[in-house]
Parts: sequence; structure tokens; C-alpha cells
Amino acid sequence: MAGPAPLHKRSRRGFLKLAALGTVGAIIGPRQAPAAPKSLTLLHESSFIKTFDEYFQKTLVPTYEKETGIKVNYELTSVGSLPTRMSTITETGSGADITMTFLLLPFLFDEKLLDVSDIAEEAGKKQGGWYDAAREAAIVNDRWKALPFSNIGQLMNWRTDWFAEVGVTKFPDTWEELYEVGKKLKAKGHPFGFELGHGFGDNHGWLYPLLWSYGGHEVEPDGKTVVIDSDETARAVDFARKFFRDTMLDDVLGWTDVSNNKAWYAEQISCTNNAESILWLGKRDFPAIAKVTDQAQNPMGPKGRFHIMSAISHAIFSFTPAKEEARAFLRWLTDEKQLSGWYASADTYYQPLLHSYDNAPMWQVEPRNIPYRDALASAHLLGWPAPPSRQLAESVAKYVVVDMFAKACAGAATKDVIANAEVQLKQIYRQA
Amino acid sequence: MVDGRGRIARLLRMWVPLGFFLVLALFPFYWMAVTSLKPNAELYNTRMMPLLVYHPTLKHYVDLLTETRFLAWTWNTMLVAIASTAISLVFGGMLAYPLARLRFPGAGLIAMGVAAVYLVPQPLLFIPLADLINRLRLGNTLTAVILTYPTMLVPFCAWLLMGYFKTVPPELEEAARIDGASHLQTMWRIFLPLCAPGFISAGIFAFTLAQNEFLYALIFLTKTSVRTVPIGVIAELIRGDVFYWGQLMAAALLGSIPVALIYSFFVEHYVAGLTSGSVKG
Amino acid sequence: MSVSSELQCCRLKGRWADWITSGLSTMRIRPWLDRESVFSWLMLAPPLLFLAAFVGYPFCYGIVLSLQDRPVAQPGVFVGLKNFATDLKDPVFWRVASNTFIYTGIATLLKALGGLGLALAMNQQFRMKNLVRAVLLLPFIVPTVLSTVAWMWILDPAFSVFNWFLIRLGVPKPGPSWLGNPILAMTSIIVINTWRGLPFYGITLLAGLQTISPELYEVATVDGASGFQRFRYVILPLLQPILLIVTLFSVIFTFADFQLVYVLTHGGPQNATHLFATYAFDLAMGAGQLGLGASVALSMLPALALLIVALTRYMQRQ
Repeated sequence: MAGPAPLHKRSRRGFLKLAALGTVGAIIGPRQAPAAPKSLTLLHESSFIKTFDEYFQKTLVPTYEKETGIKVNYELTSVGSLPTRMSTITETGSGADITMTFLLLPFLFDEKLLDVSDIAEEAGKKQGGWYDAAREAAIVNDRWKALPFSNIGQLMNWRTDWFAEVGVTKFPDTWEELYEVGKKLKAKGHPFGFELGHGFGDNHGWLYPLLWSYGGHEVEPDGKTVVIDSDETARAVDFARKFFRDTMLDDVLGWTDVSNNKAWYAEQISCTNNAESILWLGKRDFPAIAKVTDQAQNPMGPKGRFHIMSAISHAIFSFTPAKEEARAFLRWLTDEKQLSGWYASADTYYQPLLHSYDNAPMWQVEPRNIPYRDALASAHLLGWPAPPSRQLAESVAKYVVVDMFAKACAGAATKDVIANAEVQLKQIYRQA
Repeated sequence: MVDGRGRIARLLRMWVPLGFFLVLALFPFYWMAVTSLKPNAELYNTRMMPLLVYHPTLKHYVDLLTETRFLAWTWNTMLVAIASTAISLVFGGMLAYPLARLRFPGAGLIAMGVAAVYLVPQPLLFIPLADLINRLRLGNTLTAVILTYPTMLVPFCAWLLMGYFKTVPPELEEAARIDGASHLQTMWRIFLPLCAPGFISAGIFAFTLAQNEFLYALIFLTKTSVRTVPIGVIAELIRGDVFYWGQLMAAALLGSIPVALIYSFFVEHYVAGLTSGSVKG
Repeated sequence: MSVSSELQCCRLKGRWADWITSGLSTMRIRPWLDRESVFSWLMLAPPLLFLAAFVGYPFCYGIVLSLQDRPVAQPGVFVGLKNFATDLKDPVFWRVASNTFIYTGIATLLKALGGLGLALAMNQQFRMKNLVRAVLLLPFIVPTVLSTVAWMWILDPAFSVFNWFLIRLGVPKPGPSWLGNPILAMTSIIVINTWRGLPFYGITLLAGLQTISPELYEVATVDGASGFQRFRYVILPLLQPILLIVTLFSVIFTFADFQLVYVLTHGGPQNATHLFATYAFDLAMGAGQLGLGASVALSMLPALALLIVALTRYMQRQ
């Protein structure tokens, strides 16, 4: 194998290159490029449904360019790296004009995002009104800081064939009923598998709704008072413990988001909480399993039925040199003509948050996804009913609620895990 | 001559422990190979003996090479590794020669400083470095990582080379100095060529670290076309909660075999370099 | 060829080192430049400047960050040591600290012992030595994230070959939960780290073993020393310097490990495998708290420094 250039030659070249770079960098310095808004950059996390990204690149971009002459760069960043990328862009003041945001990001980056209330109100009026969940996702201090695009729901996935074996043909309505079915199924070798580890979607997807449906809350709506220590919370924790012990695999304590997908295709579990990905990939690669997979809303608890909201929105960076162009683009994008086509390209993986899409034809393509639409009415942001705040973001990043449940399931006493969570929350909300 | 008893002793002293280590080291690679050749149906089948493939397929390899930018990432990774290794060797050598060979005020301080740099953890640096990289307008370029990798490689190379340099007998340099050569000539002409093994061994280790790096690449390289293999693979073959296991394992193998081949050529030098170097301290 | 004639020869070929030297002589600053101190500092300048720019500056910036309340996208507010106080009161922080020490300590011990064993086994003549050496280095060469993904599969009870065998030996299905049980999860990351790092120790110690001249062995044997005594009194002391260097590097790397945990468990189950690096990352990038994240990352320094000093003292005492 021919070796690389002799060491001393290569190092000399490398050194000179470096010196040149440094000099050039020093001379040029961080100057702002003059604004020439003939192009906009939209930052998006790459969708795991390829056709969705392709629709934007191949249909929407050329259409907009024809209408206005502005080219839109669709910059894709890998799944999971969006917060990092947004941090970098915000810290340095450049890199993209419009960005996708989700969960608590509109709040965290609030000060560097433009107020888009006018576009939002207009869209709401024209397209049937926003779901309440949408407001939770994008309104910060009474102003829309992002335009909600869709929700990515986390719902129950269940094996119709195995449930039928124990005489159940409709998905159970309450947690207790689900628990009974689970016990029977575990005895037959088809346990449940709900994530209790340090993932992100599939653990919060059932733990927060469980907590809420028993009436438990972390913090009051005033955003300051920690109320996790309550009978309601204790009941939820006790339920979770018996649910884990009697219906699930032990391994779920260490699961991350990918684990339940893997377990599903390996036919290890009969029920889990997940987004549409299990069914979607199943139809493509495991048709036999997909045929007996169905989806349903979360079960109800004594205080109601809840789902978590994972809303995706679009926001404009306040430091963009192309403010008007960005607003015009978003206005155009939010129009029904563009949105309906874009939604349809992803088979309802993205659930629209405007009521006008409630009866869109795309829902009929895969009726098993309809529960995702129905869940929108009871969807809430993590940490509800407290408003989004940096303290909330901190408690989520520290897995306070998840670990509270997980520790109980692993055997700790309910009293202890709640006290532990309370200490952590009080410290985060600085009341200790 | 090896008689019967000697052979058994040899077996126990060498082949058994070696075999043990070989199995330990290679078992996950066997797993990677087997997984990358299994069709999805077999992959997820928990009832079958996991270590055997019944219907091998090259589909995952084909998908990896055609549907992802794996080759581009490999190219990027090699480029970055070679460039940052080169920079680190140059800088490492420039640090090591005076510290190992010459006397000057402040030597002890510098030596301690270089060691201290090594203690600064990457997780602390990545936020300020991200700011610096973006101010230099180097975000999403390979230059960003080529410039930042040496921060962890230079101190190591310097340390290793220092140890190596100290073992070279000073007679040749002294003779050169007597003949009137400048320090520069002495270093460049006489000393460095003698140290090739040391450079090779430092270079190999630096190369390995560079092509393995994850955190900085995660932060600085978010565009698909400029990614390195570790980041590209995790980003493209893990989408949300969907893992493309077969392709991931294929990528793992394809990513490591070329480097292993390079190693098998250089490992003799690597060992020689360490032998003369660090042992004497 | 004598040294001086070699120099003559090179001078004739007009290489750049000579060119510079002769140029400097002409300019009459050569004597000054040729002073050891001046030359040394000229040599040291470029790398030191590089390190100052890319390590020193960010390090100072990092310290400043840790003293600020600094949410992402907002200006920082100086708060003194408040972040560190928060960390000290945070139960997760202490868990993270103990995890990191346990992880580093046990893994390093296993790697050192295993590496020594490997080196001793390899220090014998046999065919295909080079091939075997290269193959044994594979765990070290393969990008960590990729081998970790493979281990994810290996450790999944449903697919794990270990569990498959254990079940057939009578262990109740589905077998141990390697990533779900906190103790087993810590064990798993230690095992993977050891698997990855052992070859590095082994090959490096092997190099050390090979410099011990055979005469020393012979003398010891003639003196009547047993195999074990030879090992303890001849080999071990001579290996000490190289063992120290390798261990120092390894400790620093292991202590600041990020990839393995990030990909495998992301700190779970219930923070049982959270390390300083992963926790700092979660706080900075997940919660958007750059100041708090920096303070956790900075807390690694005193611990690392302590480890290094302790290790150096211990080895020097031997």
C-alpha cells in the first residue's frame, strides 16, 4: 500500500497551510456579510420519513422560487442535534433565518425569536382555529414566538392478535383495565414494555399522562409552588409500580427510545407507548407484524385522559438580516395550499394543530392513525400545568419525574421517591 | 527441542491465555459481522441461535453504500485524521525538542503547562470552542475539526515524543554542534531523522484518537456532507427511535477494517517506538 | 561517513534549514538566535500560541461561564460560585461523581491487570505475531460509537448470547437485564470500557517487556528465583515507568468519557451510569443552562488533578 507523503514534507505543508489560514482569518475578522436576501435558510431536523423532506425540497422550494425569486435552503440536521445547532446559531448570531423548534425550545430561545402573532392569528382565523395545545407550544408571555406546525403524538401501540387471545377486542379504557389485561398477557408470555429509562419520547409519553390522569402535578400553574408531594402522585406511583411488576419485562428500566421498537419487531411485547414509527416501519419491513398492530389513545385515570404534546413549530431568528422575507415565507408556508400537501407527504406522522385538517382525506389513508388526531384535544406540554420555564427545562433534563417512577418500580418506597423528587424540584425552583 | 511436556506447558502459558484474549477482543466483531449479514427477519428472531446466519445477505452493505453518504464520511474521517495528526506531530515535536534536549529558562513551567492542558476536559471546552469556531466562520467545515482535534492530540504527542527524544544518545548532536551547525540544522538534519519510530508511534495513536472523536464532530459538523463516520452513522442510521441495525453493523465493520489493515503494517514500528521511548521514562 | 562530511554534503544540497542558517549568519543575528534559550522559545512559540488560542482561551471562557447564570440565547449574569453551590446540593451531581470515580477506578484496574496478562502472553515467539497483535488492537481502533451500538445488541436480554447460554444453564427467562439493573448497567459500561482499552495497555506493556534484556532473566533464574519472583522483582519494577504513563493517559480519558454512556444508556437507569461529561452535556444542551453545564464540567478538574497526583506519588514511592 503506497504510504502517505514523507512525514517532514507533509508536516511542513500542513504548517504553512495553518499559518496562512491564521493570517487570513486575522485580517478578515468577523465581519458581517452585506444583506442580500435572495435566499433564506430553513433549519430542520431530518425527518425519519424521507418523503416529507423530499416534498419540501422538490415541490415547495421550486414553487416559492418561481413565485418570489427567493431560494430557500432546506438545511437538515440530524435527529437529536437540533438544540445543539440552535444553541450554536444563537450564540454566534448566524447560520439560519428560520428554524424548526419543538417542546420547550421556543421558550428557551424566546429572546432571540421574532414575534409572529400576526401570522399565527391570521392562520387560526382562516383555518378553523388552533387547538389549545398549539397555544401551549408556542405562546411565550402572550406572544406567539413560533408558528405551530404539528404534533408528534405518543400513543398506545397494541397487538390485536394477542389481546384477542385473552378476550379483548377493544383497547382498554382505563389504566386499571389495561393492568388486568397485562397481567394475563404476561402470564401467556407476551408482556408489556413501557420505557422507564433515560430516553426522551417513550418514557414521558406515558409517565406524564399517568401522573396527570391521577391528578398529580409537579408544579402549580403559578410556576413556583412545588406540589408533587400529594396523595394523587402517590397513587400514580403505586399504580406504576404494580404495572411494572406484574405486566412488564424487567429490562424496561434501562430502555431508551429505540428499545421498544426493537422489542416490538422481535415480538417480545404486546403493548407499549410510542409515536407512529412502529406501525410505519412495520408496514415497510415487517408486514406480518404490522397487520396485527393497532394504535389507541392513552387509558383514562380517575382524573381524566391525557397525552403529552410534542409540538413542532417554525420560528424566525430575531437577528436574521431578512426579517420581512422570512415572515413572508412563513405566511406563505402556513397557507393551506402548501401545508396540506406537506402534511400528506408524511402519512399523518405530523398531526396538524389547526382544526381545518380534522377531516382531511389524509386521515383516511391509514385509519389506525386517527387516534393521534383525537388525542390532540387532551395533549399538554411536559410539566403542565406549570408554564414552560427554564426551571421546567432543567427538571426535564434531569429526568426528575421519570426517575421518580423508575426508582419506585425498581423497588424503592413511594414515600421516598416522592420526597426525593420534591427535594430536587424545590432546589431547581430555588425554594430549598 | 520441544518435548511433550514442554508443548503442554507452552499451550498453557501461551495459547490458552492468547486464545482467551483473542476471543474476548474479537467476539463483538464476530457479532457485528454476523448481524450485518442477517436479513431483518433473522435479525429480530429471538428464538434462533444468535451466533449463526442461515440466509446471509449483502443487502445491508449495499444499502449502506448506496443510500447513505458513508463513503463521503469515510473520506472526511481519513482526511481529518491525517491532517490533525500531521499538525499534532509538528506541534508536538516543536514542544518536545526544546523540553527534552535544551536548557532554557521556564522549561519546567512549560512542561507542567503542557501536562495541565491535557487535563482540561473536552466537555468544558466545547461551548467556548463552538463560539470561537463560529466567529472564525468555520462552522460546518472540516477545518473546524482539523483545528480542534489537535487540542487533545498535541499534549499527548509532546509527552510521548519527549520520552522518546530523551533516549536518543546525544553524541551525534554534540558532534554536529562542534562542527558549527545551528540548533535548527542539528534538530532538522541530525536528530529528527533518528526519531522516525517515535513519530510513527505517536502518529498512529493520534490517528486512532482523531478518527474516533465524537463530541466536537457532533457539535461542529451538522451538515451531512461534512460529517465524519461516527457522527454520520449515528445521525443517519438512527432516526428518532428507529435504528437500522444491519446497516449500523455493516458500517462498524467497514469503518474499522481499513484502519486495522493500516495498523498491521505499522504495528512493528509502533511497538519499536514505544520500546525505545517511554520505557526509559 | 563522519558527521562533518555529512553536514558538508547537506550544505551543498542547499536545504532550507541551512538556507535559513546561512541567511541568519549573514544578518549577524545568528549568534543571538543560536542561543539555547532563544531557539527554544522560537520553537515553542507556535505550538504554545496554538494551545493558548484553542485551549487556554476557551478554558478561561469556560471558567467565566461557570461563574455566570447563562441560559442559552440570553446574556450572562455574574453569580459567583452559585452554580457550584447548586451542584453541591444536587443529589444527581453526587451520584454522577461517585459513578465517574467508580467507573474510572475499576475499569483502569481491570485494564492494567488484563493488559499485563496480555503482554506476558504475547511476549513469546510464535508465528503470525504481527497479525495477532493487529487483530488484538481492533477494539481500540473501531470507532467507539459503533462498537457501543454492537454492544447494545449484545446486552439486550432478548438477543444476548450470554443470556441465551445462561437460560440453557437454568437461569430463569429472560435472564439478567444488563442495562436495566443499575448495578449490572454500571458493570456493563465498565466491561465495555475495559474491552476497548485493554489492547492499548497490552500492546504498550508488551513494548516495555521487550526492552527488558534477557540477561536479567537469566541472572535471576541462575540465582534461583521462581517464575513469580522473577515477575515481581525483575519485571514489575522495570515496567513501572511505562505503566505509569499509560495509566495516566487512560485515567484521563476514562474519567472524561462521553460517547459510551451517551449512546448506550444516556445516563440511565435512574442515573446509575451518568458521568460528569454526559451530565454536563445534558445540562448545557438539554436544559440550555450553559453556566450550570460548565460548572459540572469544571468540577472534573480537581478530581482529575487529585487522581493524577495520587497516582504519581504512589508509583514513585515504589
